[in-house]
Amino acid sequence: MESIRNDVFDAQACGSLTPKSKPCPRPKPGEAAGGCSFDGAQITLLPIMDAAHLVHGPAACAGNSWESRGALSSGPSLSQYGFTTDLNDNDIIFGGEKKLKDSIDYIAGRFMPPAIFVYATCVTALIGEDLDAVCKEAAGRLGLPVIPVNSPGFVGSKNLGNRLAGEALLQYVIGTGEPEIEIPLGVNLIGEYNIAGEMWDIEKLMKSVGITLMSRITGDARYKEITWAHHAKVNMVVCSRALLGLAKEMEARYHIPYFEGSFYGAKETTYSLRQMAYLLNDREMERRVDRLTEREENRLIQELRPYRKLLKGKKAVLYTGGVKSWSIISALKELGVQVVGVGTNKSTEDDVRRIADRVGDDTEYIPEGGASRIIKTVRDRKADIMIAGGRNMYVAMKEQIPFIDINQERHKAYAGYEGLLRLAKELTYSLANPIWKLAASAAPWDKEEPSYDR
Amino acid sequence: MTVNKRSKPTSVNPMKIGQSLGSVLAFQGCYKALPIVHGAQGCSAFPKALLTRHFREPIAVQTSALQEMDVIFDANRNLEEALNTILSKHRPDIIGIIGTELTDVAGVDYQSMLKTYKRERNMRGGLAFSVTLPDFRGSLESGFSSTVEAMLDEMIQQVGHRGSRSVNTRQITLLPGSFLTPGDVMELKEMISSFGFEVIALPDISTSLSGHLLTGFSPLTRGGVPLDSMLQSLHSGLTIAIGGSMERPARRLHNALGTPYKVFESAMGLKATDDILQFLHQISGEPVQLRYCWQRENLLDSMLDAHFQFAGMSALVALEPDHLYTVSSWLEELGVEQKALVTSYETPLVVEMEREVWVGDLDDVELLGKGADLWIGNSHGINGAARLDAAFMAAGFPVWNELGAYMATSVGYRGAMEWTNKAANLLMRREEEHRESSIRYRGWN
Ligand code: SF4
Repeated sequence: MESIRNDVFDAQACGSLTPKSKPCPRPKPGEAAGGCSFDGAQITLLPIMDAAHLVHGPAACAGNSWESRGALSSGPSLSQYGFTTDLNDNDIIFGGEKKLKDSIDYIAGRFMPPAIFVYATCVTALIGEDLDAVCKEAAGRLGLPVIPVNSPGFVGSKNLGNRLAGEALLQYVIGTGEPEIEIPLGVNLIGEYNIAGEMWDIEKLMKSVGITLMSRITGDARYKEITWAHHAKVNMVVCSRALLGLAKEMEARYHIPYFEGSFYGAKETTYSLRQMAYLLNDREMERRVDRLTEREENRLIQELRPYRKLLKGKKAVLYTGGVKSWSIISALKELGVQVVGVGTNKSTEDDVRRIADRVGDDTEYIPEGGASRIIKTVRDRKADIMIAGGRNMYVAMKEQIPFIDINQERHKAYAGYEGLLRLAKELTYSLANPIWKLAASAAPWDKEEPSYDR
Repeated sequence: MTVNKRSKPTSVNPMKIGQSLGSVLAFQGCYKALPIVHGAQGCSAFPKALLTRHFREPIAVQTSALQEMDVIFDANRNLEEALNTILSKHRPDIIGIIGTELTDVAGVDYQSMLKTYKRERNMRGGLAFSVTLPDFRGSLESGFSSTVEAMLDEMIQQVGHRGSRSVNTRQITLLPGSFLTPGDVMELKEMISSFGFEVIALPDISTSLSGHLLTGFSPLTRGGVPLDSMLQSLHSGLTIAIGGSMERPARRLHNALGTPYKVFESAMGLKATDDILQFLHQISGEPVQLRYCWQRENLLDSMLDAHFQFAGMSALVALEPDHLYTVSSWLEELGVEQKALVTSYETPLVVEMEREVWVGDLDDVELLGKGADLWIGNSHGINGAARLDAAFMAAGFPVWNELGAYMATSVGYRGAMEWTNKAANLLMRREEEHRESSIRYRGWN
């Protein structure tokens, strides 16, 4: 059988196009965790809110995954629909391309989306369905972009899926459209998915200094705006290593400079805004940014005061699955919380270096997953709180460890200055909750009682 | 009656839940168990995430982590590695290998690989078996019941048919269907034991997914029926199965060991609970306990109170087949019109139902249920219900918009009362909202 991707070797460089980054380790059977590449591709593309997302495969790939993310929309909701070709035995034996074609036609006719993304899954890849050909034919016939996303689950990790989605955007979307009005100072945000509405907080900040958000790749995005992403003056990659390749390629193709930044913590936020203004090469804007960031930081210092008093000296273990590690560390440091353990399982050498810059020498690195490892670190380092993804939330609850959810499914926005304040509040509420005392104490009859004198 | 399907090439807002997820759920009801999904990573990660979100508990599951080349060359090498790791690190009592669509389409023979593995490692004392559950067939329900069947098969084989089996007539094996919550299983166990029987539920999620504070992390299941009780269940004098899909596992026990069985297709509502209690009363010769007599009156009273609310109301139900049947018969007792009954796949039970049943997706539900007042189904239905302007009642799997959904009880008189009040309250609130908006409309403020 021919390989799904002819650049399998390159695919090993999971995440970044630079060859020197270390290859993704093969997941260990029996102790692997985390989603598949199909999942990763979806995470990247589903926040294109007005597009239809059609999963070509048996029902479960879509059935088990739709509506599981916290990426918010300010309007259209078609991307929240779960579309799948729902293949059965017969389709597998005789091929599902006809059904795929009919499904595309059906969705185009009934929902009239601006574009349809079609996802391969393990089974359709295995039986050799020609996604590209079906999509191409349909696109021509319907006069509608129909974009194949060749990221079946078994090619690798979630992270690789993010990257493959980025490649699909480069190949089929970016550069195919023109904005209605010219935007002189536009910035693209890459890898900011608007979880819990974080993008909106950032957009507000950008707007207030006159920076236009050109294309959202992809939180709360509309299909059209991504087609003209090549007109931006700057690309900002929001702590997402997987989409770095996209930014690099856009630099090569369209000469758009890029930088990596984050909006977690006041310092990082200020740095990111400054960097934007600097790369846009507009003196006046730089001054506006300085004024804004100074004002915001000062305000924040006042508002954070009561929380910082409570949080000072508290210890946290951070396990975010890699990419966000270093930026959250900065945010926590600003609140006076010390990070005593940090997950590095998916971090690149660059990420690890950034982590090392931000934590003390005695911080423990947790290279490999597994809830037991994280919990051991919490216990050993006498941490007060665990900050991780939803997957580990109930493990922490069982161990009665205060917990903050930092990943895809969370409901709180932590980006920007407002976000840092929110994070401070959440940390305080979590640590101060009476439940920890109640849960730790035994029922009265289980306690040793002095016997009554009778 | 017939089962209908709407013809449309695409599934829009699917109801189907992968069979393998049903299987993972079944394993959660066995103590120190670890299911291994034999497929690519996503096939275990998605069920894990979804089950965690529903039950708000850690879920025990592992994967053979197949990648493209493994599938093509040697998928079983990964499985062997997974088994080695798991056996040396965690020592589970029960290992289930769940074959996926990937191993099915690739034609991987893990059954004989497992046999060889067991022989070579001299594995005894635990249960290790495989079950093939590609996601292009069935749904959560079939995955669950097939797993229970495979589990019983393995137990029977291990103990063997030889010799005379001692039968404990005071012991009953309970096979609870996939749609029952931990709260339901608990209630059923209590109900049966109130007649003096020992009950072994298999699987028993009431002691694993009901919430407990056991500390000390383990990747294995932390509750559920222990292996020795499972084996003990082969001596039961009777099997009680709840839900049509559990008939096959019950029959399996009957065929191999001669254990008589009784299937209750529903355990919800007045009549269904009457049937169960009457049956238990007859076979035990014990009286029905006073608390059930009280609960029966409570239920009837709440139905009387609520009937004003249900008058003229219509509901639609979008649930897995057995659950659909159960809820439909409960609605029947309330006199609520059943506007649309939609399920994920066809089973003998839904074919025999006296009402029109559709196999479809949530988009079909929206179309067929136009004008319905109440939407009963999983959390994916929230948006559809809003579009129909129907009150939304969360039931089935997955439910993520409500706390404690997994402990809610629907079986027995008490469960029916809970559901009756809940449904009526939802309708009442909806009516109030409508009234308010009409007041605003007339310009009062
Ligand atoms: S691993 Fe493959 S089959 Fe499983 S969910 Fe991911 S794409 Fe679907």
